[in-house]
Amino acid sequence: MSILSYILKRTLQAIPLLIMVSIISFVIIKLSPVDPLAELRMNPSITAQTLEAEKQRLGLDLPVYQQYFKWAWSFLHGDLGISTSGEPVINRMMERVPNTLLLAFTTIFMSWMVGIPLGIYAAMNWRKPIDRFMTLLSSLGMAIPSFFFALLLLVFAVKTGWFPSGGLTSSNFSEMNWFMKIVDIIHHLILPTFVLFTISLAGLQRQMRGNLLDVLESDYIKMARAKGLSENKVIYKHALRNAINPMVTLLGFEFASLLSGAALTEYVFQYPGLGRLVLEAVMKSDINLVMASLMVGSIMLVMGNLIADIVLRIVDPRIGGDNA
Amino acid sequence: MRKYLKIIFLIIILLFILRACISVDRVPGEKTADRALTSSLISYRGESLPPFKTVFKNGRDFLVARGEVGKYGGELKTSTIGEGPKTFNPWNAKDSTSSDMGSLMFDGLVSTDAYSGEVIPKMAKEIIINPNQLEYTVVLRRGMKWSDGVEITADDVIFTWKDIIFAGYGNTSMRDNLFIEGKLPSVEKIDKYTVKFRTPKPFAPFLRQLSASIAPKHILEPVVKKGKDAFFSFWDTSAEPESFVTSGAFRLKEYIPAQRVIFERNSDYYMMDKDGNKLPYLDKYIVYIVGDLNNELLKFESKEIDVLNVRGNSVARFKQMEKKGNYTIYNLGANTGTIFVVFNLNQRKDKNGKYYVPSHKQEWFNDLNFRTAVDYAIDRETIVSNILYGVGAEAFGAEGLSSIYLNEEVAKGHKRDIEKAKEYLLKSGFYYDKDGYLFDKHGRRVEFNLLTNAGNTERESIGVMIKQDLTDIGMKVNFRPIEYNSLIGKLTDSYDWDACIMGLTGSPLEPHSGRNVWASDGTLHLFNMRKSKEDMADVAPWEKEMDKIFDLGAGVIDFKSRKKYYDRYQAIIYEQKPLIYLYSPLIIIAVRNKFGNLHPTPLGGIVHNLEEIYVK
Repeated sequence: MSILSYILKRTLQAIPLLIMVSIISFVIIKLSPVDPLAELRMNPSITAQTLEAEKQRLGLDLPVYQQYFKWAWSFLHGDLGISTSGEPVINRMMERVPNTLLLAFTTIFMSWMVGIPLGIYAAMNWRKPIDRFMTLLSSLGMAIPSFFFALLLLVFAVKTGWFPSGGLTSSNFSEMNWFMKIVDIIHHLILPTFVLFTISLAGLQRQMRGNLLDVLESDYIKMARAKGLSENKVIYKHALRNAINPMVTLLGFEFASLLSGAALTEYVFQYPGLGRLVLEAVMKSDINLVMASLMVGSIMLVMGNLIADIVLRIVDPRIGGDNA
Repeated sequence: MRKYLKIIFLIIILLFILRACISVDRVPGEKTADRALTSSLISYRGESLPPFKTVFKNGRDFLVARGEVGKYGGELKTSTIGEGPKTFNPWNAKDSTSSDMGSLMFDGLVSTDAYSGEVIPKMAKEIIINPNQLEYTVVLRRGMKWSDGVEITADDVIFTWKDIIFAGYGNTSMRDNLFIEGKLPSVEKIDKYTVKFRTPKPFAPFLRQLSASIAPKHILEPVVKKGKDAFFSFWDTSAEPESFVTSGAFRLKEYIPAQRVIFERNSDYYMMDKDGNKLPYLDKYIVYIVGDLNNELLKFESKEIDVLNVRGNSVARFKQMEKKGNYTIYNLGANTGTIFVVFNLNQRKDKNGKYYVPSHKQEWFNDLNFRTAVDYAIDRETIVSNILYGVGAEAFGAEGLSSIYLNEEVAKGHKRDIEKAKEYLLKSGFYYDKDGYLFDKHGRRVEFNLLTNAGNTERESIGVMIKQDLTDIGMKVNFRPIEYNSLIGKLTDSYDWDACIMGLTGSPLEPHSGRNVWASDGTLHLFNMRKSKEDMADVAPWEKEMDKIFDLGAGVIDFKSRKKYYDRYQAIIYEQKPLIYLYSPLIIIAVRNKFGNLHPTPLGGIVHNLEEIYVK
């Protein structure tokens, strides 16, 4: 089976999945007792007519299944609807997507660049003090809640004044030259990236170490060693290629969590990302906005897995062929 | 034996540690000195300033600012909590952040004197009200310009009122509040600089409603022609800052979602200082968009913003650091909001013939003695000192303490009096058993649910205290904080609630804005919501009197005659207690000591005179 028909097949398989996800999310949001118009209702100067008009504008006067079909129909036509604030959902999301991608890609890039080598290093020094030390560090990294760590760093930033207390750019950003702009963004990115990096690094490092240790135990490695290959060749040529497979799958999931995974950290650092937007939307039952982000999240997950599978087929010749 | 000794020793150590913890917890309560200090912080300069003057210069009527002469340059940085603006179109704005920002860019005909609360001219040079109180002749300043250089004339005023507000474009609540017995006022052009408004009946709130932003006809007319949807999305948050054609002291320079909004000075504004220098002084006005209170606090401490709303629990700390942090704390008095306990007085049945409120509870809640007893049992003093850290004032009346229509008699209120509360209950046939529990005359234990919105820690703590206060008079209160939106659903739609702790915001200038709460058919007549005409059958006599008062109060323009009506309404609420008021928080603001002409007032807040504020 060629790679193209494989992609096609997987895409077709994803359609029922996406429909299911959309129905379930829609119903769950509708079941919640949250009323998107509550704030307006409690405003003494808003009249019944205004409330009624707002209800119609948001389609809240229809039965739930009709609301769903209305939503699904416009979603298929690329129209994500308008949020309760009256702006098109697509605009609100597009304002935030680049910022979240920036944060997520820097985090993933850094944690992979550091996590994988550290994992290999720890596996090669199995049970030596350095390995134990790294185990301790990564346990710490995994155990510390992201929002708490973020808060600690924020307090640090304010007390020392070395870092800005949140946001992505300084107030005079638009008057800077391009070099200062880059410096300014990096300055703002350091702390949130550090939080996410620490947390994902811990997991990655442990995973890589575990995989490599597993592989190093296997017979063909013993065979390679017995054959008299140099240790470097054993590790990098034979062990690593097998140990990296599960990591590729992991990358697929990380791709999916790109857009939503950092919500808490974004919130604490007041980072203008998608996570903060969605969090606020859920609180206000802004259904179009929540649905759009859930759908984007699901599509990303499907795509991430697909990409991971394709990459796997490339790095591992055993996978693929007819049984895929 | 030794083992036991060890255990005893350990327990003693533990007790010491616990004691230490407890005394640490008690520190805020013991700082009575700080608390006394917080409520007597410097108040605003209460004197009223001389009236505004107009100077004719270079073919233009300049409005002369009243503050001292400052210097140009610099910026003022503040913050807004939440999502930030939802639109920059002031005629569409439904939330306060959006409408504040919109009206910063688009001036209205009149404005409010932040010191005295009087109506003062803005784009209007003068307003003449006919003796019949029906006609308002508005004379515009000559030579005012839109930011694209086009002159502002009567045509813009007519367009704004006729084609936007009366036609129902944008936020229709503006128009809804203008209906006087089902009719809208009319507006006509007299000459290039004069328009005449006419109300079908004398209607006092109208004068302040003239503060609505005036729109540039040459830009918005084509948009209005395209229909309401086009108008709705015009000048929203995705609009290019260059596309705004404005009249206000500042105009949008940059909007970065979830981060900040930057306004820059309008160099062709129609105000000047005493020396004839054009205002405003500041180059930029920056509003940061922050997610929550804590982040705002951090931003102030790291000197990223110049102004901070200080919350009760941090007032003492901020007051101590005033010198070191180089800022000044201003006490702006009670805010415009009110917090109250409300009982559901609804005695009607739903569609299925079932009572919204169980009939025995109806009997209690509709018993004035019962409500009065609750009022006397609530310990407002303790609520203010424990929950607000002393940064609040006990409240008894329907108008906020900062209102210019405040009924001083009602505001005096009363002290907590358990004995009196019990007397009232006994009067209505309630009785106590030997354990001190309260029963009604049919032998039912008095027990009801008290709701509030979960997540609001202040209201949650108040609920716990009130529950305790009412236990003192034998009532059993089940206090349940529930999710805000579902609470609103109960209050405004399903009516299945007993009692609730809620808050409403009011206007310190115009009691008529509370009509929706007090009129018996009002959309927010919380304590007895009526959906249809049939529901109007059981309107209580005092509710009818209130309906009349609100009609009469709006029908005269003179302040003193209006005050009489609104004094009476506050007295009725205080007597009948449909809402039992608890307290008003004080507004405490910290501002960095680098600005001149900065005179925060309870009515205007900090930036009411933004055009004349300057950096020293």
